[in-house]
Order: sequence, then structure tokens, then C-alpha cells
Amino acid sequence: MKQTKLNEKYTDKELAESFVFRNKITPTQKAESDMLLSEMRKEIQKSVTPKQQLLSRLLQLKYQIEDYLENSTYDNKRSFGFFLRGYLETLNKKNKEFAKDIGIAQTELSQILNQHRNPSEKVIIRLEIHSNKILPAILWYKLVEKEKEHEILTNIDLRVNEKDHVRNMVTV
Amino acid sequence: MYVTELVNNQKHQVKVKRLDEDDYKKIVKTRFYFNWKTEKKHDVYKLVFQDEILGLMSCKHYTDEKRIEIKLLAVAKENRGKSKKYSRVAGTLIGFACREAIKYYGIEGCVSLVPKTSLKKHYSDYYGMIDAGWQLFLAGQPMLDMLKEYEL
Repeated sequence: MKQTKLNEKYTDKELAESFVFRNKITPTQKAESDMLLSEMRKEIQKSVTPKQQLLSRLLQLKYQIEDYLENSTYDNKRSFGFFLRGYLETLNKKNKEFAKDIGIAQTELSQILNQHRNPSEKVIIRLEIHSNKILPAILWYKLVEKEKEHEILTNIDLRVNEKDHVRNMVTV
Repeated sequence: MYVTELVNNQKHQVKVKRLDEDDYKKIVKTRFYFNWKTEKKHDVYKLVFQDEILGLMSCKHYTDEKRIEIKLLAVAKENRGKSKKYSRVAGTLIGFACREAIKYYGIEGCVSLVPKTSLKKHYSDYYGMIDAGWQLFLAGQPMLDMLKEYEL
């Protein structure tokens, strides 16, 4: 269907709801356009508030977590503690201050950050509340789950140790 | 992010993913209007509900400018016009471009497109795009508004 036919079939409003068309502009128009766009963007940047800045940084962290969870590859650097540290850095909070914010002992927070302890459900829920739901509990939980899944898949020692406790194995 | 099935007003959770090589076999001009194979040089995304592709978008990153340009977008034929099956398809795709801009460039990020003159006003009305002459763009609060509206 040619674009003229689309124009006959749909209103401009409906087209804008359905398409972005290829639209070539001349090099002169592009240069002029890029300059104007750049100027206008600078003006917008000048008016960015600290609140907008903070929101965008939290969303950045959220999208990084989402993309990591979506990816099937496990990366031991990207632990729960790694992303939690990212959250603290985004908020510019010291461990002591943050532990107080979410009502846990500083040692517990430190153990979670350093992957010596898994976060409890209450910690996960408190993180959601602390972030004003920008970082939902389910996102934090899935990070723990991804670590656990990797551990179960790859822990050979555990398999060796547990074998001694199993009798009458199914033979097929 | 969700689309609304207009016949029963039901909301359906959707995903936006990169287009696979195999997808190009399924994409036909009668349904997605353009020849999408020409877009392989860009980042092409599909909006999917279950396994069905509801819309496509091609984007180009201008990393040094912290900008993503939407080169092409089309919703599937059955989701256009008065008798469309699902609403919010194009908006969710544009919202996804905003998500990528925030992810890569933070609040300094920007999403732009070069509109057909006759559609300019509608993009502004619908998506809060700002007029910059030949181009329209989203940045700062209007970009954050898109993320909120489309639940990204």
C-alpha cells in the first residue's frame, strides 16, 4: 500500500498512532535541524531538577537489573550486593545511614553487600518501600533467585556430599 | 508495560525485544508496511504479546550526542485505525526508546524523530514530543512522563 493510500484509509491522528515514516531531509536542513535540537536540549538540561536527576538514576539502575535478569547468562560480579551497592551510591548513602533507614543492623547490611548472607524477605520488601516502588521487591527477589539457580546448577561439592544421604536410587 | 485489547478493555502485559534473524521471515509488508530488511543496520525491536508481534521499531544510536533516533515504526495492520485490536502499541515502543535513552545516557539522554509535517502536531499531542524544527524530541521531564505513562 502506498502512502497516499494510507492517507485515504487513515486520518493523520491514526497515522501518528501507528507509524514513524522514513523522512529524508537535505544535508543543509539536517545541519540546521541538529543545531536547533542541540540548543533546545541544552535549555531542557538547564531546567532539570535534582528530583528528576535522581529519578533518572534510579530508573537507570532498574533497567540495568531488568536487562541482567532477562539475559540467561550468569555473572557472579552482578550479585544482589552489587546492585544494592549501586542503589546506595545513587542515593549517596553511607552503609550506617542506610542500615538505619531500612531498620537493620549495619553488620547485616555489610554481609548482604559482600555476599556473605542472602537478604531476607523483609529486607527485599523494605527496599521496595525505601525506593518508593521504583525498584520493586520482585526485581530484588529475582536477583537472589538467579544466584540460587546458578548455585544449584553448578555446585558439584554439594552433590558429592549429599549422595551419601540418599538410598534406593531409581535405576533406569 | 501493557497493551489494551479494545473489544473487552483487557490489559495484557507485553515485552519489547530485539528482532531475531528468524523474525524477518515472518515480517511481511502487508502487515508491517515497510521493508524491514533494510533496517538491519540499525537496532530493530519488536513488541510482542505472547508470541505475536504487534509492532516494530528501528532505532539508531548517536552515542556522542546521547541521542536515539527512531528511524521507522509500524504497528501491525490489525492494530491501526478505528477498528484496531490493541491500543498503546506505538506509544509503548516509543516509551521503550525512552527507556533505552535513560539506560545508556541518564537524564541527558534524548529520543528524536524526523516527522512528516502533517503528523507533527499529533506526535506532540500524543507523546508530548517537543518541536525542534525538522525534528521532534523527548528529553527531561517529557521523557520521564513517557516512562510513567507506558509503565517502563
